[in-house]
Amino acid sequence: MARAREEAGDSRLVSGREPSSRIIRVSVKTPQDCQEFMLAENSSVHHFKKQISKRLHCDTNRLVLIFTGKILRDQDILSQRGILDGTTVHLVVRTHLKGTLPGPRTLSGPTGHCTHRSEPSTSESAGMLARLGRLGRLAQSSPDLADFLGQLAQLLMAAPESVVQLLESPVVQGLANEKPANASHAPESSRLVQKPESALKALESLQNPARQQELLQVDKRGLEALKAVPGGDNAMRPVCSDIQQLLLFALAPLVASKGHNPGSELCKEEASPHVNTDPTAIPTALAPARPLVQKVRAGEVTQARCVASNQANPGCGTGMPDVNSGQDLLSQESQQPAGRATVTSQLRPSPSALRRALHVLQKNPTLLHPLAAGSPLRHRMPLLPLLTNPRALQALIQIEKGLQILSKEVPGLAPCLWGPGRPHGTREPPETRGGGQGQRADSVQPTLAVLQLLQALANACSQSTQSSLPSSLLTEGCYQQDLEHLKVMGFANHDANLQALMAAGGDIHAAVERLLGVPEAPVPPADAYSAPPHGEGGGGRGRGGEGK
Amino acid sequence: MEPPNLYPVKLYVYDLSKGLARRLSPIMLGKQLEGIWHTSIVVHKDEFYFGSSGISSCPPGGTLLGPPDSVVDVGSTEVTEELFQEYLSSLGESLFRREAYDVFENNCNTFTNEVAQFLTGRKIPSYITDLPSEILSTPFGQALRPFLVSIQIQPPGGSPVGRPNGQS
Repeated sequence: MARAREEAGDSRLVSGREPSSRIIRVSVKTPQDCQEFMLAENSSVHHFKKQISKRLHCDTNRLVLIFTGKILRDQDILSQRGILDGTTVHLVVRTHLKGTLPGPRTLSGPTGHCTHRSEPSTSESAGMLARLGRLGRLAQSSPDLADFLGQLAQLLMAAPESVVQLLESPVVQGLANEKPANASHAPESSRLVQKPESALKALESLQNPARQQELLQVDKRGLEALKAVPGGDNAMRPVCSDIQQLLLFALAPLVASKGHNPGSELCKEEASPHVNTDPTAIPTALAPARPLVQKVRAGEVTQARCVASNQANPGCGTGMPDVNSGQDLLSQESQQPAGRATVTSQLRPSPSALRRALHVLQKNPTLLHPLAAGSPLRHRMPLLPLLTNPRALQALIQIEKGLQILSKEVPGLAPCLWGPGRPHGTREPPETRGGGQGQRADSVQPTLAVLQLLQALANACSQSTQSSLPSSLLTEGCYQQDLEHLKVMGFANHDANLQALMAAGGDIHAAVERLLGVPEAPVPPADAYSAPPHGEGGGGRGRGGEGK
Repeated sequence: MEPPNLYPVKLYVYDLSKGLARRLSPIMLGKQLEGIWHTSIVVHKDEFYFGSSGISSCPPGGTLLGPPDSVVDVGSTEVTEELFQEYLSSLGESLFRREAYDVFENNCNTFTNEVAQFLTGRKIPSYITDLPSEILSTPFGQALRPFLVSIQIQPPGGSPVGRPNGQS
């Protein structure tokens, strides 16, 4: 019955002449935008979804339509659900189908045909490329990948030996072994090790431009499909940063082995498509590429090599593209060109040394994790001599372990160790401790020590902004709540707030009046209480209290 | 087919001024405001709100503001937790990125209104969404606007929702 009506609804829409079923305009709202659809009010939700999927280029299975809080089922009729002319329906595009991530051929797009197409066209060569792609932990593809692979294909033509070396390098294989996302990676990577000859053959076959074109065509189609999907943005953002890491990682040994000019061209080629393409959510990730490219163009290939290798090492070693820390690392490096010049002179003759360094890093994840976490200690150390000197590496690992144990055992020591870069809120403890005059002070005092302990632990263990949140939470002590109230009311001067609270003995209303009386000076005047109405009516003191 | 689960959706309303707005608004603004409202949506046993560091979530009543001043029943939804999280991630990358926070135009109540409509089709009470225009329509509000524009409201106590690569 419903099906018959559905068919009838479809045919009515096609003919467009049926008067008894009106055409209505329905708005479909996604988190990104809002689009309008015209269709018969008697049509089914399934039909509606088909229309939507045609316009948005994504699979109907991934569409979820919601109206007045109810999820619309395929067999529902629009008018029965109360969807009338001019109503708005909400749409969520799932990024994953339940239980299935897009398949092992990660080069393919979300639709099935790409997977099938790439199967027959994939030989060893494309398989190699596919593995490279997977090595970057691409759960889903992105437009960047097609460009990147195109570039890589050109590279293969130009310098097959270096690419083979790239594939053979312990890091690449380590990466492949590390990825838990797909169990098939491990056997494939072992195949990688055992078949350099076939890889060479594959390289030659890849040089066949026809083969390249075929590959790229297949990928581009699927990738464009993903790009057009509203929900596809979600997948692309982390993936693009993955690609960034892969790019830089791939750059490192390539640049190292190729030398000056070809290397700079490589970098230019590699970096520019990424700089141009669309991921708006990771401008910060792209920023590292630019200094990298600039460096290479300046002809300082050795510097770029070191920069790239250092950038790549944390990225590939940890396996999780920690863009921020990598970026910190990179900016740190880029800020010390002078210091590095001397270091790179030591490094100049040794791409093999770099490889060894990569190898050591791979074997020592403990070294990499604090590196990737961007520990402040690490930032201050020149990395390059450490990377290439195995004994230094060992010592560093021991230091790092020791520091972690120390910070756990003796939290008070952590402030001394980590130095600047601690969150702002830590200034408060002496003040709040000294000023504990409020009624609530006594009950909170004993917990202060515990809170400080936790805060130091949080600082030592993570540098993310997450830690700064609990730390500011923990250290405000008894006046914490009131301080926050004052802040949301618009009193931005933290010190003044605290002084006012202390002077007012924890009474927030009196503190506000004090603050109104003297907004600039930290010490409240003695006669603040004598003119409260005047102070309140004064206004213009940033106390709009506009808060949301 | 079994009937789908219905999840209740509540709106938690907090007065950021803790009663001061009600006392002082007649003097300062020339009109009576009952409060400076911060709102959040509570669904699937979690509280979700938008602040200057993006969309955050916490256990209900778990921000520093404490328990809400009032609770409004928005309705019920069939949207599952998983679907809701996907939706929030999408929002957090488009309309409600952390940089998109604007204390007048795109604030916590804008977010709550958006989410309430997604979940139930209903909007939140108008006295909440009308607040910015109420304030800005007074000469005092206009005068204060440059100061207020840079205000960043972010009730502490929550954790970020759906931001890629751990940015927050």
